[in-house]
Amino acid sequence: MPKLEILSEPQREMLLNWPSPENEDSPWTPMIKPLSECKVALVTTAGLHVRGDKPFTTAKNGGDASFRVIPRVTDPADIVQSHTSIGFDRTSIYKDINITFPIDRLNELVALGKIGSLSDNYYSFMGALRNISGLIDEYGPEVAKSLLDEQVDVVLLTPT
Amino acid sequence: MEEAGLVSTGIALVEEHARKIKPPRILSVPFNFGNTLGEVNNPSFQHEILEATFDLLDRPEGPVLEIFETDEIERVVLSRSEVKTAAVSKKKEDTFVELANIKANYEKWLGMNKGRTAVGLSNIGIDQFPAVVEFLKEFIEGKTHDSEIRPEQFSIAHFIRYCVDDLKSYYLESRIAVDPKASMNELYRWLWSETALSDLLGELAEVMNDSEDKEIKAVAFGIAR
Repeated sequence: MPKLEILSEPQREMLLNWPSPENEDSPWTPMIKPLSECKVALVTTAGLHVRGDKPFTTAKNGGDASFRVIPRVTDPADIVQSHTSIGFDRTSIYKDINITFPIDRLNELVALGKIGSLSDNYYSFMGALRNISGLIDEYGPEVAKSLLDEQVDVVLLTPT
Repeated sequence: MEEAGLVSTGIALVEEHARKIKPPRILSVPFNFGNTLGEVNNPSFQHEILEATFDLLDRPEGPVLEIFETDEIERVVLSRSEVKTAAVSKKKEDTFVELANIKANYEKWLGMNKGRTAVGLSNIGIDQFPAVVEFLKEFIEGKTHDSEIRPEQFSIAHFIRYCVDDLKSYYLESRIAVDPKASMNELYRWLWSETALSDLLGELAEVMNDSEDKEIKAVAFGIAR
């Protein structure tokens, strides 16, 4: 996001007052092997899903915290965005899905040998939630378990 | 993710939020929302962002917040209300005429973009968009509160929202086909100040915002943005 001082007053106020959680510290899992030997998964909060899958909704309780599975081999033409937030540009992802969901860039990094391999499934949540309890208590752990089942080592997180 | 034993690294668009949340490894970038990797169709720059993000995996301890420095970014202006105060509205055609006139441009877009389109959330084909616009006009006038073309899995509020998202995508993708180099601000300025759809959505947002149905009211906020 551009620096706060060049945003409009309503945007600046909205962002500064956003109920984001405040943590003292964070959990930490150390890297134990080089990235070139790791299996990487892509997890986004861009509100993407496979065409025909259930779109994200405007939930009454602070946001739709559910997730969608996007198989890695999905044709980009079959990936759409139903994020409910009003505050972001859509035209860039029309032109290039990699702008928030860098599927081609990750394939290139594997071809270059910089990443070991990629998971079979990627995951999409919808960001800009005002209530993250569903994410923390249910959907986040569910996705983490799926990633572990797929023997993923590293998760790349992208917002929109 | 980390509590489960996964290593994570990521990108943040709001540095102030990242400072509060303290993810284990995060790269803060100064780009507009919707532009996480900086520039469309610029693989080398996108790789630069990803390399900086993956480099955080080498840090021995965290949480790590790294700032990606770049030239100042122009703020994108998205909302109808903000564009309308800054731009002079031009003479508009009827929405039905617009829909017909931009169809060839939309088809050009599909050809340019390997068939990829953001249109499709509502499950309504573009040939039925005139029926969607007819429904929205009648909804605004209070003549109807539902549509016979609404898929039953969508509530009326969400059906309207997905139709509006599809119409906006249809218009903007058609515009990009005509003017591929148009900036984000030029695209939104065109949508909100030079189309009849803009006025339709402005009226729709007002009617929905006045609704006593809480779901319709909640959806209203995003209709003209």
